[in-house]
Amino acid sequence: MNIMNEKIVLLKKELSKAVIGQENMINGLLIGLLCDGHVLVEGVPGLAKTTTINALSRAIKLDTKRIQFTPDLLPSDIIGAQVYNPKDHSFSIKRGPIFTNLLLADEINRAPAKVQSALLEVMQERQVTIGDESFKIAAPFLVMATQNPIEQEGVYRLPEAQLDRFMIKIVVKHNSEEEEIDIMRKAAKKSFDPVQAVLTIDDLQMLQKEIETIHTDPELEHYMVQLIAATREPERFGLESIVDSIMFGASPRASIDLYKASRAQAFLKGKSFVSPSDIAEVIHKVLRHRIVLSYEARAQAITSDDLISTIIETLPVP
Amino acid sequence: MKHNLGRLVGILCLVYFSVTLLQAEDFTYDLRVTKTNPYVKEAVFLTFDVNQTNHDIVLLFDFDLVKKENYSYQRVDIKETNDAHDLHIRYTYLIYPLQDGEVDIHFKLRKRVTTEDSVAYSFSGDRDNVKGLVTKDYSINLPPFMLHVKPLQKDILLVGDFTLEYSLKNHQAKAYESLPFNFTLKGKGYPPRLNNILPKDIKFTLFSEKPNVHALSSKEGTHSTVNYTMALSHDKDFTLPAISLKAFNPLSEKTYTLHIPSQNFKITEVNKTTLVDKVNIPPLLKENWSWSKTLFSYFIVFISGYLTARAIHWQKKSSKTETIHPLREKIKLSKNKKELLQILMAHNNQHFSSCINMLEDSLYANGKMSLKELKEEALNLL
Repeated sequence: MNIMNEKIVLLKKELSKAVIGQENMINGLLIGLLCDGHVLVEGVPGLAKTTTINALSRAIKLDTKRIQFTPDLLPSDIIGAQVYNPKDHSFSIKRGPIFTNLLLADEINRAPAKVQSALLEVMQERQVTIGDESFKIAAPFLVMATQNPIEQEGVYRLPEAQLDRFMIKIVVKHNSEEEEIDIMRKAAKKSFDPVQAVLTIDDLQMLQKEIETIHTDPELEHYMVQLIAATREPERFGLESIVDSIMFGASPRASIDLYKASRAQAFLKGKSFVSPSDIAEVIHKVLRHRIVLSYEARAQAITSDDLISTIIETLPVP
Repeated sequence: MKHNLGRLVGILCLVYFSVTLLQAEDFTYDLRVTKTNPYVKEAVFLTFDVNQTNHDIVLLFDFDLVKKENYSYQRVDIKETNDAHDLHIRYTYLIYPLQDGEVDIHFKLRKRVTTEDSVAYSFSGDRDNVKGLVTKDYSINLPPFMLHVKPLQKDILLVGDFTLEYSLKNHQAKAYESLPFNFTLKGKGYPPRLNNILPKDIKFTLFSEKPNVHALSSKEGTHSTVNYTMALSHDKDFTLPAISLKAFNPLSEKTYTLHIPSQNFKITEVNKTTLVDKVNIPPLLKENWSWSKTLFSYFIVFISGYLTARAIHWQKKSSKTETIHPLREKIKLSKNKKELLQILMAHNNQHFSSCINMLEDSLYANGKMSLKELKEEALNLL
């Protein structure tokens, strides 16, 4: 285990002080952070989403902000606005909460489309224009947006084009019974240890560079492209059973993100190369929000995760 | 002169019934009526004054009359001061007793005590964040007020000062042609809502609409305008009998009659064979079964909706039984290591990570486990 992997182990250990279990979410967040991507989290309330991002910001000494999305939110509430100063009759720039390292966009689907677009545009461009001035968003910049799957009234569903901007989508599930007992006890005693800063921004940038050295075999690169292509033309890969279930397959952005996420996953496991299992471990996260299901699939309660599993099971590994 | 004097005396001698009571030292009230012995359907004005006497608290009041069958009422005015600690309210009601004899007017009064802080808090809310006013409410029992109502003559239809206007454009028409006939009752008094003005034994066809009533109540009384619109039709000459409406003015205590003289109409015959409808209310040519068609279509829509929902359920059930292939069977049937790896990877479960590592080790590194051993390992993890 090299020094960089030791830092990851240290970081995970520090996060575990505040967050019990939820390995899937922590791994997903780390993948997003290491690959400079953004994360969409879907889960019922109370599954430590905010706690995790706060713990991460403390463990890496990053600035963090939280925006609660509501139907009356305006784009200027996120990116900032020009404020008139009556004393000297001039306008000054008031920066919005987007100017941070880690941004928790809570319940993103509660805000109307214009607010969602404002955020997603910044996520893509990493630049904000207020009035005549443009401002760069300092790296690292990770947006963790949350969605509540149980409430469907009064929400504005994110359009597919916007969803594509999220590198991965994590579905947060409830903790196991043992973990929940542990949470109960610690919460009752208020005995959660404080999270200490174990990484700096420089360390993070070094980790990001380290990931670029992870080797990916050309055959595996081809395998990844085939997995993505199978979502677009399933019949070409002998997947006739899922043809009617898919309306639109994943975009080329999915291929890029799958490639990056597989390398990050291999790195998190302490490996120097990508293997098929690394791809399989991240493909659900990368593709589940990018596959548009047909009406028939939704009627039969088929999920995009089911289709991704069928693709993995059918496509031969190199 | 004698009558004018009587009226003057009557007005001057309007009995002001006043009751003043101290209610828990917080307020006093004063109840007055313009007349205690009105005629049936004569306007009586009632004023109710509430005056706050305890200036240390903030007081609010809810006052109204209780609905009863033997009188009708309407609030015509309310005046109140704006001072939270020195409230004076005057309610004015217009009452019409509807039956003779002793008529009790019942009241409901609620005293609401609150503080300035509570009022300020309730004002701090807005449309999206409504903040209620917290009050302590006390129901105050007011004794009913009795009116001694004088009866009307039996054939009186209107009470008040009314005039009658009518219009008849034509007295000549062709057979079955309609002859429009309008008349309007206008004046001050109990709103005239008369349903049967024409005699019952008329010998022509009458088309009528519901009377159009405009009534405005104020501190002066009720000013009403009621339009009666109708059309008459017949195939030969006919006479509209004279209409007489007997009215009573309680102010002058005089009875008067509103009159429309009888009208004769000359009808010219028409050739019945040229008419589109030759028979009055002809029998149905065929039974109308369109309702059954509508009912049937609703039934079909309901059944198809029900069957669609069931079909999705059945399809889901059958597809589940088809697609849920036991993992155990799949592992057993896998032909080579790569196929086994695909199956375990597709399952997306951390349980198999050790077995997947062994498989990858065996496929891409120097691992020497056989397919059989790997299958057993996977099956053990299930």
